[in-house]
Amino acid sequence: MTDAPAPSTPDPASVDRELRELADKQAALGEMRGAPAADPVNAPMIRHWQDALGDANPAYLDQGVAPPAMIQVWTMQGLRQHAAKDRSPVDDTLAALNAHGYTGVVATNCEQTYHRYVRLGERLTPSTRFTSLVGPKRTALGEGYFATWNVTWYGEADEPVAEMMFRILKFRPRTSQGPSSAAPPSETAGSEAAKPQETGRREPYPLRPAVNADTAFFWEGVQQGELRIQRCADCGELRHPPGPVCPACRSTNRTHTVASGHGTVYSYVVHHHPPVPGRETPFVVAVVELPEGVRIVGNIVDCPTDAVSIGMSLRVTYRALDDELVLPMWAPGES
Amino acid sequence: MLKSRAAIAGIGATEFSKRSGRSELRLAAEAVFAALDDAGVAPGDVDGMVTFTQDTNQEIAVAREIGAGELTYFSRVEYGGGAACGTVAQAAMAVATGVATTVVCYRAFNERSGRRFGQPDARLGGQPTSQGLEMSWHVPFGLMTPAGWVAMFAQRYMHTYGATSEDFGRVAVAMRRHASTNPAAWFHGRPITLAEHQESKWIVEPLHLLDCCQESDGAVALVVTTTERARDLRRSPAVITAAAQGSGAGQMMMTSYYRDDMSGLPEMGVVGRRLWEMSGLTPQDIQTAILYDHFTPFVLAQLEELGFCGRGEAPGYLQDGGIELGGRLPVNPNGGQLGEAYIHGMNGIAEAVRQLRGTSANQVSGVRNVLVTAGTGVPTSGLILSAG
Amino acid sequence: MRTLTEDQVELGSALPELSIDLTPTVVVSTALATMDFTPVHHDVERARAQGSKDIFLNILTTMGLVERYVTDWAGPAAIIRRINVKLGVPAYAGDRLSFTGTIVSRAAGELTVEVRGKVSLGDHATGTITLTLPTAP
Repeated sequence: MTDAPAPSTPDPASVDRELRELADKQAALGEMRGAPAADPVNAPMIRHWQDALGDANPAYLDQGVAPPAMIQVWTMQGLRQHAAKDRSPVDDTLAALNAHGYTGVVATNCEQTYHRYVRLGERLTPSTRFTSLVGPKRTALGEGYFATWNVTWYGEADEPVAEMMFRILKFRPRTSQGPSSAAPPSETAGSEAAKPQETGRREPYPLRPAVNADTAFFWEGVQQGELRIQRCADCGELRHPPGPVCPACRSTNRTHTVASGHGTVYSYVVHHHPPVPGRETPFVVAVVELPEGVRIVGNIVDCPTDAVSIGMSLRVTYRALDDELVLPMWAPGES
Repeated sequence: MLKSRAAIAGIGATEFSKRSGRSELRLAAEAVFAALDDAGVAPGDVDGMVTFTQDTNQEIAVAREIGAGELTYFSRVEYGGGAACGTVAQAAMAVATGVATTVVCYRAFNERSGRRFGQPDARLGGQPTSQGLEMSWHVPFGLMTPAGWVAMFAQRYMHTYGATSEDFGRVAVAMRRHASTNPAAWFHGRPITLAEHQESKWIVEPLHLLDCCQESDGAVALVVTTTERARDLRRSPAVITAAAQGSGAGQMMMTSYYRDDMSGLPEMGVVGRRLWEMSGLTPQDIQTAILYDHFTPFVLAQLEELGFCGRGEAPGYLQDGGIELGGRLPVNPNGGQLGEAYIHGMNGIAEAVRQLRGTSANQVSGVRNVLVTAGTGVPTSGLILSAG
Repeated sequence: MRTLTEDQVELGSALPELSIDLTPTVVVSTALATMDFTPVHHDVERARAQGSKDIFLNILTTMGLVERYVTDWAGPAAIIRRINVKLGVPAYAGDRLSFTGTIVSRAAGELTVEVRGKVSLGDHATGTITLTLPTAP
């Protein structure tokens, strides 16, 4: 029924180069501010945490401060949907690693530095930067890349109160069952894309594109974290959606350019009804205008539906919908 | 020239319902019989058949059911509801050129109780045909229902011209007002207010439920013959003064988001120019129009593309009952597809014929010329029918 | 409650061992207390479906337990400056997590304790925690 893009098997050197380039791009984005914590630092959550961990230290609540190791708790997503601007430059790289078969994940390092103890009533804001991608390395779990990112939490006066370095190993599982039981996955709180359940096979996403010789380059690009726009090799005309012939000059010599990944909303809709297979409603679909001069359709993610407007700045992001299909999507950009 | 060479001599329909309880082929046969009886033509006289590519009833199957003899012309028109007036255009061409003498145009479906067009179908983008590939730029993102495809245009139209959801709502209110006094309409006796439109649930923002036409089971058939012969038949003919199909540059099936303008309907502009040119008429010569209304926003865009008002002026044109009975241009006196039934535009052509005959439930006075359009957002078609 | 002062600690000395029974209740309640609802920390079937033998402790809890281990020993006046942890094997429900620690450095008023948290499969967490203690009154 479907013609899913064939899993691309470019040579390891080119995969490595692509991953590095994506990682460099992500790193170049620098620190990206996330959504402020849903709740201020508060006594009930501290008491609950201390009880669960068996930590009887009276100093915290006596002095109106939180246990320093709770720092990450304040900005956990919990069971809520992605909130406004709660995005991270980490996700794209992890999606690309997944797309290349590095679907296993174990956390390897967590380092936290506390500049001061946070006080009751303070509302913290996290900020994340992608730091490095190192590999491929042979490890006991299989070949993999070490991805590192840093989170800084800011207080209400915008002063850093704590920092964290987090490192994970994304590895190519030796079997399709995921990591062997001798070395089960650990956990990587802090990044949705790296949650350990993703080491298992995912339900196939039902809405697959048909792909043929004229369009394969686009979907291969997406698998590698590139937004490829068809360019006529003779007259230079850019064209999206692509096709076999240049309507401007009749040439069939086609190449592509890699889009900058920036865009603006040209139009958009919010889908409520009826239910769509593989999707949770409501979701946003937009016609995105690229500075390169073409338009492309995609979902807007990491943004409340009522915050979307025509003209808003976007940046591309890549999301793995299952173990094979990656789709380009759009998150609010820096304006 | 095709102008005035052919006419619609008969119209027929089944009842419009949510569950016909009959096969689509049976619905087709019933509607064709009704149209033939209306025209006073025997099944054995039918030598041509035209329908939509989406129709599940092959021409030969319908011909067998009605007891037609030999066929010399059979054809299908593409692009969903955009085919409606196109079936008549092709029938007119066939009779004008002598390829056939009596052509039946039909559309029959159980669109509510059978396959519903508004439901997402994951197979839309599944095949690497040109259409499957076109859909593949949209379906993976969940943009896969007609309401979604139209909403994308509507949002841009609102942005460009400052139109509001209430402007769209005025179309729905007008159609439901018309349907309320049409006994054949599903929504007979059930008008709505603008407030009810605004309160109806979101389907795909910016479209509310009441911006979307209903889903219907039913069939409509039309008999097309030469104008000369039609004059000898039982009913006064609805002369096909002009007929046109139109596709714009950079056209896609419902998702033409990649060309310069997203706030108009260039393909309807093509149809409009051809209709005015062929007929020699102007918008002032039209007493009532049947504008395809599967979704309200495109009624505004059509008023503009066809020259009833300027670009971005449709919201003003709709004010104060502008398209209601008694208004500047009564649109869809039958209640349209929002109010009467969704038979892919074919029920609107039948209403145009009734208006010319003077037999509509909501008769507009002094009707000489009726403009009819087909599906919007897709390659489309249109007619100007005149009292003969 | 007892609290240590700077002069009371000696480089190279060991901390008292702390051993925690990782009951399912501990694994689940700590996961929820750290706002981590990932199924592998509370749903045995989901954890097994992805190749784990049971639900296991989340990292936020590991960090918290390392902190608790050191503050249990140092007392409420200690100020934690830094926790660096290298993660190893998972700490499954039903296992036992045992902490040992040694004071490895003392510089510029900061004390560094090397901590090791072991489970039956091996080292679950190894690392250092840096803190300051009040000076003697």
